[in-house]
Amino acid sequence: MKLDPAIRDQVLSTVPSLRAFAISLCGHVDRADDLVQETLLRALAHIDSFEPGTNMPAWLFTILRNLFRSEYRKRRREVEDADGRYADTLKTHPEQTGRVEFGEFRAALAKLPSDQREALILVGASGFSYEEAAAICGCAVGTIKSRVNRARTRLADLLAIDNIDDFGPDRATRAVLAGGSGRG
Amino acid sequence: MNKGKTANVETPAPGTDQPEARDAMGRTVTQRKSEVRLGREVQARIGQQLRAMYDDVVKEGVPQHIVDLVRRLGDHDDGAA
Repeated sequence: MKLDPAIRDQVLSTVPSLRAFAISLCGHVDRADDLVQETLLRALAHIDSFEPGTNMPAWLFTILRNLFRSEYRKRRREVEDADGRYADTLKTHPEQTGRVEFGEFRAALAKLPSDQREALILVGASGFSYEEAAAICGCAVGTIKSRVNRARTRLADLLAIDNIDDFGPDRATRAVLAGGSGRG
Repeated sequence: MNKGKTANVETPAPGTDQPEARDAMGRTVTQRKSEVRLGREVQARIGQQLRAMYDDVVKEGVPQHIVDLVRRLGDHDDGAA
């Protein structure tokens, strides 16, 4: 049996976003690519369980997330400082964004509990609805909402942004002004 | 993926007198209690950073080995496992 080209195209068109999600979950490009590959192997092996016309991205994200979770649980037994390692591995992918201001943002994101991080990314970056994100994570919609809220609050705390001036291009200007404290 | 809809939008509760905020993508931003405290501008910035970071990867497209893999598996489905 050959894979329906339309289904194949749906799978392929989901891959860029699936990769971005994988990288944000495990923080390491090589591991993320392995995870994506494993997800696709599993998805294509069970393509019959996908109902055409339903949400292909949500289906693939669910598979990837479950694979990551089972792997993560295994690793957590071996590696104590999983979050610390996550933070470290983030640094191994500087080419992903050349923009300096992302460094601080990434570091803050890495400090979030993984359930909050994944909820925030699914809703805030992947563009899933709260309902879709809940289905992907296998939890209630209210749980997703609360995780996203807590993630946002925590991120703002970590970034120590009390107002917009602390978190934008003006920062450099303000640093300069602060440096010239003898004036004015 | 571009699903062409504003997925992460909540309808403000009736009676809410918060003005409608819009984030960088022009989407409405719900003013939940904690977000009101943080300020919608800060939230919009966080959302912007998050999407920019994510989209940097999305822009890389589909790696060739993935294209090859999917084509190969799709051509003879017995290889998938």
